[in-house]
Amino acid sequence: MAEAAQSGPTKASAGPSRSLRNRRLMTHAGIFLTLIIAWELASRAGWLDPLFYPRPSNILNSFWLIYFKNGNVWEHLGVTMSLVFMGFVGGSILGIVLGSLVGLNGLVRRFLKPYVIVLEATPRIAVAPLLIAALGFGATSKIAIIMLVCFFAPFINTLSGVMNVNAEKLELFRSLGASKWQILRKLVLPDAVPIIMAGERLALTAALSGALVAEFIQRDQGIGSLILVYTRNLNMASSFACIFTLTILGFLIFRGMELVDQYIAFWKYEAGRERVSAKRRRAMRS
Amino acid sequence: MNVERMPNHAASGEVVVSGIAVGKTFADGTVIALDNTTFEIKRGSFVSLVGPSGCGKSTLLRLISGLITPTSGQISVHDTPVTGPRRDISMMFQKATLLEWRTSLENVLLPTEIAGTPTKADKNRALDLLKLVGLGDFAFSFPAQLSGGMQQRVALARLLQTGADILLLDEPFGALDEFTRERLNTELMRIVAEVGATTIFVTHNISEAIFLADQVFVMTSRPGRVAKIVDVDLERPRPLSIQTSPEFNRLVEDVRVTLGAV
Amino acid sequence: MPDSRPSRGYRFLDAMVRFVPHLVLLIVLLCLWEAAVATGMITSIMIPRPSAIGGAIVELYVTKGTIYKHFFITLTEAVVGFCIGAAIAVSLAVCSSLSDVFKRYVIPYAVVLNVTPGIALTPVVIAWFGYGMGSKMALAAILCFFPIFVNTLTGLVQIDEDREELFKSLGANNTQIFTKMRVPAALPLMFAGLKIGLTTALIGAVVAEFAQATDGVGVLMSRFSFQLNMAASIATLLSMTVIGLLLFYTMEFLDDRIVFWRRESRRAAASRARARSWQSQIGK
Repeated sequence: MAEAAQSGPTKASAGPSRSLRNRRLMTHAGIFLTLIIAWELASRAGWLDPLFYPRPSNILNSFWLIYFKNGNVWEHLGVTMSLVFMGFVGGSILGIVLGSLVGLNGLVRRFLKPYVIVLEATPRIAVAPLLIAALGFGATSKIAIIMLVCFFAPFINTLSGVMNVNAEKLELFRSLGASKWQILRKLVLPDAVPIIMAGERLALTAALSGALVAEFIQRDQGIGSLILVYTRNLNMASSFACIFTLTILGFLIFRGMELVDQYIAFWKYEAGRERVSAKRRRAMRS
Repeated sequence: MNVERMPNHAASGEVVVSGIAVGKTFADGTVIALDNTTFEIKRGSFVSLVGPSGCGKSTLLRLISGLITPTSGQISVHDTPVTGPRRDISMMFQKATLLEWRTSLENVLLPTEIAGTPTKADKNRALDLLKLVGLGDFAFSFPAQLSGGMQQRVALARLLQTGADILLLDEPFGALDEFTRERLNTELMRIVAEVGATTIFVTHNISEAIFLADQVFVMTSRPGRVAKIVDVDLERPRPLSIQTSPEFNRLVEDVRVTLGAV
Repeated sequence: MPDSRPSRGYRFLDAMVRFVPHLVLLIVLLCLWEAAVATGMITSIMIPRPSAIGGAIVELYVTKGTIYKHFFITLTEAVVGFCIGAAIAVSLAVCSSLSDVFKRYVIPYAVVLNVTPGIALTPVVIAWFGYGMGSKMALAAILCFFPIFVNTLTGLVQIDEDREELFKSLGANNTQIFTKMRVPAALPLMFAGLKIGLTTALIGAVVAEFAQATDGVGVLMSRFSFQLNMAASIATLLSMTVIGLLLFYTMEFLDDRIVFWRRESRRAAASRARARSWQSQIGK
C-alpha cells in the first residue's frame, strides 16, 4: 500500500533545447513574480487582510528576523531535526527488523495480519496524546511518537519485499544448495532493498509530520511549537517564514533520500552501476 | 453466419492497393526505411511481406494504413490516395492490444463505437465474428481470462468487425508459440477466404509467408525495398503437410536466395 | 459455464474455521494482560486493564453514547475535506494531462506543496478557517491533494504505444481516445491515489482537532489523555480505527466495482452480469 504514492518532481525527459529551457525558466519566474506582486498589491490595496494573509515583503523581512537578527529559529530547528533523526532511525530499524522477521515466518504473519490491518486503518498520529500522557512531556514521548509514525511504511514495505522474492531466483539458490541464511543475505534482502528504500522515504516524511504534531501538542520547543506560537500571536509573516523553511527542508530531505537511494540501490541507476563497476574493477586490480 | 461474402479471392484481377515510387525517410534523413518502391495488389489476394528486421516491411504496412505518410511517391487504395487512417483499411498488430476493462464482445465492438453508435445488428455481427474465430463461448470473458492465442483471435474478430475489405496484419501471431501459430494461420486463411478480403501480412518467417500467400514480396534492407515478388501457385485450401512438398521447398529456396543474394 | 463458487454455507464455515484461532489468540493475550495487571506484575497506571478498557468502551459507546456525536463530526470533516481535495486534485490532473503548457506551470507548485509537510499548516489553517469544522476540512483537503493529483496524472499520461496506434488506425478522435482509452487506463492508479488520500484526509481532520477544536474524536482523545484516563483514551482511539476501516473498505468496495478488471473474482462476476444483460437486451 505504501508504494503507490512514490513520486517526485517529474524528470524532464528528452530534454528540450537549452534556449527553450531558459525561456521556460524565465516564464516560470515571471509567473511566480507576478503572483507575488499581485499578492503584495492586493494586500496594500486592502483586499487581503495582512493580519491573516501576510505580505510577501513581510515574510521576507521575517526570514531576516528569525534567521539573522534574532536568530531564534536555529535552536528550534536543531531540536526538531535531532528528534526527527532519532525517531526515524529507531522507527525504521524496528520496521525493517520486524518486517523481515514477520515476512519470513508464515505463522506469525497469519496471526499478525488482522492487527496490521487495524493498525493500517488507524491514523497512527492519533496515538500522540496517549503517548504524551503515558511518557510525560519532553523528548522521550516525542521520539516515541516519531518512531510510531515512521515504523509502519518500512515495516510494510520490508514485509512485502521479503515475501515477494522472485520465485525463479529462489529456485536457482535452492538448486545451488544455499542455506536459509545465505538465501536471506544474498537474495531476499538485496532484492527487497529498492522497496525498503521507498518505505524509508515515506517514513522520513512521516517523521517530520510526527515531530510537528508532537510539538503542536507539547508547545515547548521546536519548529512546530514556533509556528503555533507565531500564529497564535497573529504574527503570520514569521509563521510563513517557518513553513517555507520546512518546504526547503522537505526538498532537501527529498533530494537527500534520492541520493541515498542511488547509493544503496545503485544497480537501479546507470550512474550507480558505472560507479560501482569502476570501483570493483580497481579493487580487483590491487 | 451473417458475415457478408464478397467475390472469392484473386479472381477479378482489379488492383485495389497500389504504390508508385514510394519512399520513406525517417527523422534526420539518414535512415532510408523504404526506397522507391512500386507495387500493385489485386482484389482478394493474400500478399505476404517477408524480410529481415529493418527491411521496411512494417513501414510499408503503416504507409498503406495511413498511420504514416510517405516522404516521396504515392499510395492509392481503391484509386484514391491514402492521406490518413480510413475505414476501408483495418490493421492488426503483433500484440492483441485489447482493452482489459472490456469483454471480448465489447473489444470487438470498439471499431464500430469509434465510427458511431453500435446498432443491434452490429452487436450481433460482433458475436457472429467471435463465433467465426472460435470464441463463441468467450464473448463475455475479459482479456485477462483468455490465453494469448485467444486474445489474438479476439483481435482478429475486431479486425473483421471494421468491415474493411483490406486487412493489414503486422506479425499478428509472432508472439505465440509454434503450435498455436500454425493453427491460427490455417484459420486465418479460411476466414479471409470466407470474407473475401484483400490481405497484406507481414512476417519474418519464410515458410509462413509462402504458406499463406498468393504473392510474397521479398524485402531486403539498407535501403528497404522489395527485391522480388514471388508468385505462389499452390492450390487452395492448403493443408499443413503442403510445407513438405517439393514445390513448396522450391519456393522457400527461391525466397532464401533472394534474401541471401543482397 | 459451470458455477464453481463454493456454496454460501460452506464459505461461512470456512471463514469461521479461519477466524476462530485469531479470536482464541486475542482472548488469551487479553487474559494474560488482565492477569499481569491484577497480580501486580504491571504496576504503571499508564497501562489500564483490558476490563477497564472494556468498561470505557461500554460507557462511551453504549450506556452514555457520547462517542457518536464526535464520531460523526470527525467522519464528516474527513469525508468532506477528502471530496474537496479529490475534486481539485482530479480536475487539475485532468487539465494537466490535456495541456502540456498547463502541466508545466502547475507541477512546480504541486511539488512545493508536496515537499512541505502539510501538517505544518495546521495553525495557519485554523487561523484562516476558524475553530469549527471548516478548518478541519481544509486541512484534510490540503493533505489528501497531492497523492491523488500525482497518481491520477501519472495514470492519465502513461503511454501505451500499441493502444495509441490501434486507436489511430481506427480513426478515433481525441475525445474518444481520452474517454475510451486514457480514462479507463488511469482508473487503477487513480484509485490507489484516492485510497492514500482518504487516509491522509482522516489524519488531517484529527490533527486539526488536536490543535484547536471543541468537538470530534481528536478532541475527545486529547481530553481523556490529559485527564490520564487511559482506558477512555484507548476506547476513543478505537473509534478512529473504526472510521479508518469504514473509509478504507468503502474505497476498497468502490475500487473493486469500478476497477473490476484487476481482480479475478470481480472479473468473473462482471463477465456473468454482462452476459445476462446481453440476453435481456438482444435475446436469442
